[in-house]
Amino acid sequence: MNKTVLRLIINRIGLGILTLWIVSLVVFFITNLLPGDAAQELLGQAATTQTLDALRAKLGLDLPLYVRYFHWLGGMLVGDAGTSMVNGIPILQLIWSRLPNTLLLAAFVTLVSVPVAMFIGIVSAMYRGSWFDRYINILAVCAVSVPEFLIATIAVLIFAVKLGWLSALSHIENAQTFGEMLKVFAMPVLTLCSVLVAQMARMTRAAVIDQLSSSYVEMALLKGASPIRMVLRHALPNAIGPIANAIALSLSYLLGGVIIVESIFNYPGIATLMLNAVSSRDMPLIQACAMLFCFGYLVMVLIADISEIVSNPRLRK
Amino acid sequence: MNTHTPSTTTVESTQKASFSSRFHVRSISGLIGLILVGFWLVISVIGPMLSPYPPNDFVSNTVFGPMSMKHLFGTDYLGRDIFSRVLAGTPYTIGVALAATVAACLAGVISGLVAAAATSWVDMTISRTQDALISIPSKMFALIMVASFGSSVPILILTAAIAYMPGSFRIARSLAVNVMTLDYVQVARLRGESMPYIIFKEVLPNMFRPVLTDFGLRFVFIVLLLSAMSFLGLGIQPPEADWGSLVRENIGGLSSGAPAVIMPAIAIATLTIGVNLLIDSIGSKSVQH
Amino acid sequence: MKDDKKRSLVDQQSSNILTQGVSRRQVLRGMMTSGVVAAGSGLLTPGSSLAFANTDEPKRGGSIKVASQSGSTSDTLDPAHGSGSSDYTRQYMFYNGLTVLDRTLTPQMELAESFDTKDAQHWVIKLRKDVLFHDGKPFTSADVVFTLNRHKDPKTSSKVASVAKQMVEISAKGPHEVHITLAAKNADLPAILGVVHFLIVRDGTTDFSKGNGTGPFLCSVFQPGVHSIATRNPNYWKKGLPYLDSVELFSIPDQSARVNALLAGDVQLINSVNPRAIETLSASPLVKVYHADSGGYTDLIMRDQLGPMKNPDFVKGMKYIMNREQILNVACRGFGRVGNDQPIPKGHRYYNSSLPQTTYDPDKAKYHFKKSGLLGRSIPMVASSAADNSVEMAQLIQLSAQSAGLNLQVKRVPADGYWSNHWMKDTLGFGNINPRPTADLMFTLFFQSNAAWNESGWKNAKFDQLLVAARGETDDVKRKQMYGEMQALIHDQSGIGIPIFSSINDAASRKLGGYKPHPLGGFMAYMFAEHVWLEA
Repeated sequence: MNKTVLRLIINRIGLGILTLWIVSLVVFFITNLLPGDAAQELLGQAATTQTLDALRAKLGLDLPLYVRYFHWLGGMLVGDAGTSMVNGIPILQLIWSRLPNTLLLAAFVTLVSVPVAMFIGIVSAMYRGSWFDRYINILAVCAVSVPEFLIATIAVLIFAVKLGWLSALSHIENAQTFGEMLKVFAMPVLTLCSVLVAQMARMTRAAVIDQLSSSYVEMALLKGASPIRMVLRHALPNAIGPIANAIALSLSYLLGGVIIVESIFNYPGIATLMLNAVSSRDMPLIQACAMLFCFGYLVMVLIADISEIVSNPRLRK
Repeated sequence: MNTHTPSTTTVESTQKASFSSRFHVRSISGLIGLILVGFWLVISVIGPMLSPYPPNDFVSNTVFGPMSMKHLFGTDYLGRDIFSRVLAGTPYTIGVALAATVAACLAGVISGLVAAAATSWVDMTISRTQDALISIPSKMFALIMVASFGSSVPILILTAAIAYMPGSFRIARSLAVNVMTLDYVQVARLRGESMPYIIFKEVLPNMFRPVLTDFGLRFVFIVLLLSAMSFLGLGIQPPEADWGSLVRENIGGLSSGAPAVIMPAIAIATLTIGVNLLIDSIGSKSVQH
Repeated sequence: MKDDKKRSLVDQQSSNILTQGVSRRQVLRGMMTSGVVAAGSGLLTPGSSLAFANTDEPKRGGSIKVASQSGSTSDTLDPAHGSGSSDYTRQYMFYNGLTVLDRTLTPQMELAESFDTKDAQHWVIKLRKDVLFHDGKPFTSADVVFTLNRHKDPKTSSKVASVAKQMVEISAKGPHEVHITLAAKNADLPAILGVVHFLIVRDGTTDFSKGNGTGPFLCSVFQPGVHSIATRNPNYWKKGLPYLDSVELFSIPDQSARVNALLAGDVQLINSVNPRAIETLSASPLVKVYHADSGGYTDLIMRDQLGPMKNPDFVKGMKYIMNREQILNVACRGFGRVGNDQPIPKGHRYYNSSLPQTTYDPDKAKYHFKKSGLLGRSIPMVASSAADNSVEMAQLIQLSAQSAGLNLQVKRVPADGYWSNHWMKDTLGFGNINPRPTADLMFTLFFQSNAAWNESGWKNAKFDQLLVAARGETDDVKRKQMYGEMQALIHDQSGIGIPIFSSINDAASRKLGGYKPHPLGGFMAYMFAEHVWLEA
């Protein structure tokens, strides 16, 4: 393996742990700004001083803030994420029951959106100003400017209610064959792609155009290199950095940002889990979800940076 | 390495110079963009004067009413006039989104440039903090902010700006790092040029287009974040509503094709298309040397 | 057409509510004569589903999917902690109570065979002998004692701890008899023990995730915040029930997504249908909408410096400024009933019909606002989707108040945290009260001076005296008079405004047979699973 890449990875593992720690600190103290705690949320209208005190003692919420943080941190260091304050189920079990769903949806969306976005971006950069460039651009902006709950609801009304082709809910346990799987994922993937493709395509286009207009490319063109070869051999490798970063950013959205898709299609993923955790002030679960999102993001960014280094020899110094 | 942290004012002045020298709309699509954006900007100022009804009054007994001469865009889920409500929502939508986008991009680009130009230690601190911020999903972050500090226009702007700054930062830093490795920048360094000079004369002009492209999309995302927040029951306080909230509160009328949900969605679409077309046509090549 | 249907439901409901006092009157009469009575058992066979009877022929078999509006990782199968429709529905599938409240709000015997008392203070409860828990263990008095004592233990953090407190002594006499001594007379005990939180769990249970009860369904799968699958209990003690083989329950919090799932045929039953979606649903040949008028309401709470103790004129003004018909029509599309700022709805047995209806009167309101010194001031009014319809109501009240020169500012706050951080804390806010089976419970929980949920902080010694006196009063005419006087006190002086009583709106596939709306809550007061069947 490339030495630079290896050094980068080792470096990043260290930095990643640092980032995770910052996140844990930030999230822990931000969420403690939230009015109310898990005990109050659990008891709701039934909260009295007596029942609150009893429940707080049981959940350990009567301890000072920093003590709770160190308890949690100590647990994390030995790989124990704790148990949920609201239902007593181990955090890891809660996350494992949902993570595969989230990853599966993310994988489907990635598989569809990244090639489409790259294709659109590169082609529209190559034929800048052509009808394809213009229409696809306007189309992409149109798609991204519609609120996702509107796209999802329209899709449900057309394909599930009117036509009856698809199920209004994405329940994967009912999907046995690959065809059924496609049916289950069709609408969530469509919704998320219309959110993501435009951004990735536009960043790709912009980055490729920027490279195409730089001096070395113009030089090469003057020397008579073909445009396609030009884009693939010279412009694209140099544009990989920004493109990969844009893709990493977009895809990190698929972990925690899909609350609306998950709730409309009743898809049990991590985003709703965290939303529930915030609502019920289930601190250990909020922390675990935040850690997970951060980890996923770091991995994605690491991949983006590696591809940048691999593709841009100037950075391998 | 002794680095100079560029001050905010210099960045702004450079950007202004760039804007004025580059601002020439060249294509038809750019013209369309200009017209759309101009239209909405004008509406956001004079819109409330054009409103046929008070936007918060219950003027009809029909909910999700169709388009008519009496109610141009129909009526909403409580029997209010949607045309008046779209007009009233324009300043909120444009104002909040524009302020938040400018703040997010400015902060993102500045910190990106600083990180790219500074010592590895400063770079690391900024990058890790931005990473920590970005990995918290924006809707979750917004939920926590609003629940903790209440929902007001300044809090909404601040929340959206913080949530979307790291994205801008990453793109800016990545671009800057890339440009820094280019020959002419290395040459400038060997020449002994100061860091601010390199950043503003060599690096920034070369990042201009992607950063602007990013600005256009970020604007769209912030408009959409506001609507997503109304999905979670946050956002602008009722009875006022931004366009996203109008779409959200009338979503029940979608199955009957109510204009109450379609018209605000069209308003969002035309604004975002306008902003993006306009930005695409600003400046052409940014070739240096 | 729709109105007719609605009216007939109202009439039906009113007539049902008129019979509501029967059981209690019987208890009281029984106390005086024989000294022993089985509440309501003279009317209906114990444990029968007669109160839910349907003309159609029930069919065995089939599975349904049900989508409720609430649900999260805090879903629980522990009856002491249940909250929201998902929890209640699951708990009624897996457990039984000692009694159950039928559609006339009369307690029917369930796991109990009889409730006997001489003085409404010392109770003897005889238990059924033919009941098994899902794990095969027989149901005995030890389970009842354990269940009821749990609620009194502060460590349990029970939602009904304050109600359970009055059961000062709970003891087993033999395997099928339980004796309960109350702190004071209360003839409503059979109704109280019919509340969902008092469902019976097995003696010594600490892990509630298995749902080990005596109920009509076994718990096959339970994932909090995801779903549950309940399968038919073949050994259920009510012979022939339930009809369905399995029920899958999950939550779809988004209103329009829930409606679309029903229209697309992905679920067979949903609750909490937005009144604005009813037209769409009624137009579909596949589904049917069910309404029940309930005694539940969303109320405007005025407290502290705006409240009844400090500023009675402001409270009066606010009661005049609420345009009740408009609130009913705009916020609820006419589904519900106009209220009169006191918690007993028209048609209720104890309703005080001599109380004049407060109507929208901006002039009178302005007069009172001026007297209160608040005219022209800007006052925040907190609303949240946590309290049904409160955001719409707030906007309507704001607009009416403007015409009287009062500037109210709507502050919408997130639904999560609303009950702990805003409810009964803001000077002007909203509450959301679910229907309770008895008038005494409504008064005790929400209006007694020292009640934990006295929303407006209203204190009235005369009201408190009447409340205690009415509990021990055996003459129904006198009690009605007392309750009438209490309603007048609340109407005139308390700091809450009840503009409308809400309607319970459910919708189901037309294939679902045996569905009867219940005034205590959606999903047939969460008990549908045992009673419905699927047409072929």
